[in-house]
Amino acid sequence: MAPKPPKGHFNVLYFASAASFTSMESQPLPAPLPLRKLFDALDEKHPGMKDNILNSSLVTVNLTYVDVPEKDDDPNQVIIEEGDEVAIIPPVSSG
Amino acid sequence: MEPASSRAEQLRSRIAKAEAELRELRSQLSRVEAQEKEEEASGLDSPWKWPLQPHEYERYARQLILPHVGVAGQVRLKSAAVLVIGAGGLGCPAAAYLAGAGVGVLGLVDGDVVEASNLHRQVAHSHTKIGMKKVDSLADYCTNLNPHTSCVRHATHLTPENAADIVSKYDVVLDCTDHPTSRYLISDACVLLQKPLVSASALRTDGQLIVLNNPPAPSGTKDGGPCYRCVFPRPPPPDSVQSCGEGGILGPVVGVMGVLQALEALKLVAAGPPSSPEVPAPSLLLFSTAGASTFRSMRMRGRRPDCFACGTSSSLTLGALQSGMVDYVLFCGLRSPVRILAPDERITATAYNNMLTDKPGLAHVLLDVREREHYTIASIPGAVNVPFSTLQRTDTGGKDGARPDWLPESLPADAPIYVVCRVGNDSQLAARKFKEMRLGSDRRFIGDIRGGMEAWKQEVDRTIPFI
Repeated sequence: MAPKPPKGHFNVLYFASAASFTSMESQPLPAPLPLRKLFDALDEKHPGMKDNILNSSLVTVNLTYVDVPEKDDDPNQVIIEEGDEVAIIPPVSSG
Repeated sequence: MEPASSRAEQLRSRIAKAEAELRELRSQLSRVEAQEKEEEASGLDSPWKWPLQPHEYERYARQLILPHVGVAGQVRLKSAAVLVIGAGGLGCPAAAYLAGAGVGVLGLVDGDVVEASNLHRQVAHSHTKIGMKKVDSLADYCTNLNPHTSCVRHATHLTPENAADIVSKYDVVLDCTDHPTSRYLISDACVLLQKPLVSASALRTDGQLIVLNNPPAPSGTKDGGPCYRCVFPRPPPPDSVQSCGEGGILGPVVGVMGVLQALEALKLVAAGPPSSPEVPAPSLLLFSTAGASTFRSMRMRGRRPDCFACGTSSSLTLGALQSGMVDYVLFCGLRSPVRILAPDERITATAYNNMLTDKPGLAHVLLDVREREHYTIASIPGAVNVPFSTLQRTDTGGKDGARPDWLPESLPADAPIYVVCRVGNDSQLAARKFKEMRLGSDRRFIGDIRGGMEAWKQEVDRTIPFI
């Protein structure tokens, strides 16, 4: 398992090209964080990640798929809480 | 005496001919043996009253006694037609296990031929089959494994034009291909023709597996499982897509994923039609050898109401697919050749080599921006390695003029910087970045070696291993 996030943080797991892009398997981020702000927060840490990786990736919170709201007034607002496990899963197409 | 190359050519062609003849004899023998068994069975005193043939009870004994298969499951496998698209790292193990389990008809689609670099992972092919069509190699392998499975060879790539014709003949489809365009095309065809799709992929040390469009209800209805577009509505940017040739792949990683695909397909077929109308929540299985947990299963959602292919307002039709109205290449984007540097910012491999031959002690830096593994295999003498991925992460903002570690302090301010990569794309991006970082004075030349290591091999050192 990835290391437990420090107090007041959640863990982000990076798969496939997300791991290559960040050169990390996981990273703690401060919680709570609205899900709609996740991509911007990650793009700030890893410039270019939003366009290159995140926009085409699937996101899960605690092993369950979530839709990342694109607008602030989207009724479907999820807050990422302390201790949550978020996964960034880009499509792998080769085989 | 004839040169070795032409003798080798003659021998290769004689071996190929003899092998083709052997293959034909073996497949004839398999058919006759199967007939022989049936004759034996019909020669018995009492009429044969069992659902499977005697040889089938013997061959499938170990799986017949499992509750997931049983006689009913075996009969379903025998009457099923399964399509494996892609006869590579995923398709080889997947097709082998499907043939072994007694699938009645096994369709194989691939337009490529076997290459030496396939053999570390594409387990149905072999050294003697280099140059042979992959579908023929895999079909021969499966027929040898189980002559009772009838292999259908589609020696072509799947295209929007032929997809409906091929896919419609089968009950279950396995996506064992290697590119986003084929992934979306296969998914769309399966939605339109209502076929469940077992999709897997693998790169480097990671794999993904998901059963899509299961149950395969008509598009627009909520009773069906999600399709590939529901899971990944946006294709990755073309420049971020890596093939196994570029990113690398560990054999067992893709092997595991192919075997799991066969397992999911067998479960689907052997189980028969679902007994309850409840739609099972699909899950995406992630396999990762790098992380601490090897397998992770992610709960997915059902169909996206606004899905382009299976959503309620989808206008996708078979006619639109076949007439090329869905441009998969355009949708997934084309990788455009990088043309960032002006011609006078680039030098040829020959020119660089001549320059150093003329002035062996010339003060300069040659930066090799390939990943470390490529650099370690072989590099140009004197080249310093700073992988492109490391450079990409270097923040240039606000640190203009700061000297990077790879640039020696003792180097004169006007000493040129040359950048080399694999084929001459990343090197342009890197050179541009160094200019933006304002490394050195305006008098300093910063540019790349046109065509990268590939050009170096062609023009300067034919012995250098190039991967």
